Amino acid sequence: MMVMKALQGLVVSLAVLAAAVQADQTLTAIPGGVKAPEFALQDTAGKTHRLSDYRGKPVIINFWTTWCPPCREEIPSMNRAWHLLEEDDIAILAINMGEDEDTIFIFTADYPADFPVLMDQAGDVIAEWPVKGLPTTYVVAPDGTLAYRAIGSREWDDNVLLDAVRALKQGR
Amino acid sequence: MYCISKTKVLTGILVTLAAACAHAQVLHSVNEENGLQTWHFIEGDIEIELVQRLPDQSRALLMKHEFSRDVIEELALSCMTQTIIRNSGRSGSGQAVSIDLKQWRMQHKGKTSGIRLKEQWLASWSDEDASPAAKLVIRWGMFPTQQEYQPGDFNWGLTTYGIPPGSVFDLTVTWQEGGESRSGEIRNIVCAPDVDKLK
Repeated sequence: MMVMKALQGLVVSLAVLAAAVQADQTLTAIPGGVKAPEFALQDTAGKTHRLSDYRGKPVIINFWTTWCPPCREEIPSMNRAWHLLEEDDIAILAINMGEDEDTIFIFTADYPADFPVLMDQAGDVIAEWPVKGLPTTYVVAPDGTLAYRAIGSREWDDNVLLDAVRALKQGR
Repeated sequence: MYCISKTKVLTGILVTLAAACAHAQVLHSVNEENGLQTWHFIEGDIEIELVQRLPDQSRALLMKHEFSRDVIEELALSCMTQTIIRNSGRSGSGQAVSIDLKQWRMQHKGKTSGIRLKEQWLASWSDEDASPAAKLVIRWGMFPTQQEYQPGDFNWGLTTYGIPPGSVFDLTVTWQEGGESRSGEIRNIVCAPDVDKLK
């Protein structure tokens, strides 16, 4: 009897745990049509990316550093998301804060990132965005306004998140 | 889709069971691999996790950046913990949780004081003490003093308490949840010992 009760308790706990894990996969909507701050940053290959270059498509913008554990944790799922979104005309830009090409190069040998990694070495761009901690990710709508925010890491290849971004492309 | 280790599942069960209780829970654990201690505070939708950080771990991080030797030692010996604050959204209320570390109070050797915030560290250094690039590491590596978390949000960062390695202290944490100010206590937090005290 006691074993049954313990097992029931375990099942209930696991169900609640699963719900709690699922609850982590959230994006917070940003109301009010706030314009995303413009930037022009070089990627690790020397190409300059301006946010306005991406007007007309949703853009996932991730602020990160190599020394931030949750940032490292979400890079693999972000890379998988990049491949899932290739045919959806949705961009992912990862803005590294404060580090140089060599540091990022060494890091991406262990954590491949096929999407553009931009360098904000002086921290000027991140200072213009409403970011307080790392990682923080914004989703910019095709019209250049801030649509969603996520503080902390996520499993970015989860369709719960990606469908919300795809919906922006479809104007929903 | 999710890859959760056995340890994480067990921790999750404990957290879930603890959260089912009406009052704040503080789960204390010791990492079997490295001996570091963790205090995990849970009440309502907020979770606060403090993980010991050895002074040598901090030295290793800081030495990669342009800090003076004095600053590296001062920071490394200031009782630094890895801190994680999360809005679990467990209640289903959808309410935001916000924190202001200026309101947190620590009790050590009979005295009550605030914790040492990143703004205080940054204001105390000249360019010789820490280069602008090094200051960015503290600006973004230490926990934000104020922050709001929607359900599912969490942040990771370092917090410092300004007391020597091996010290024991109590921490009163406060936060806002659904417009209400709430508080709780984490007792007997132990600052990680320095290398000379390790067996």
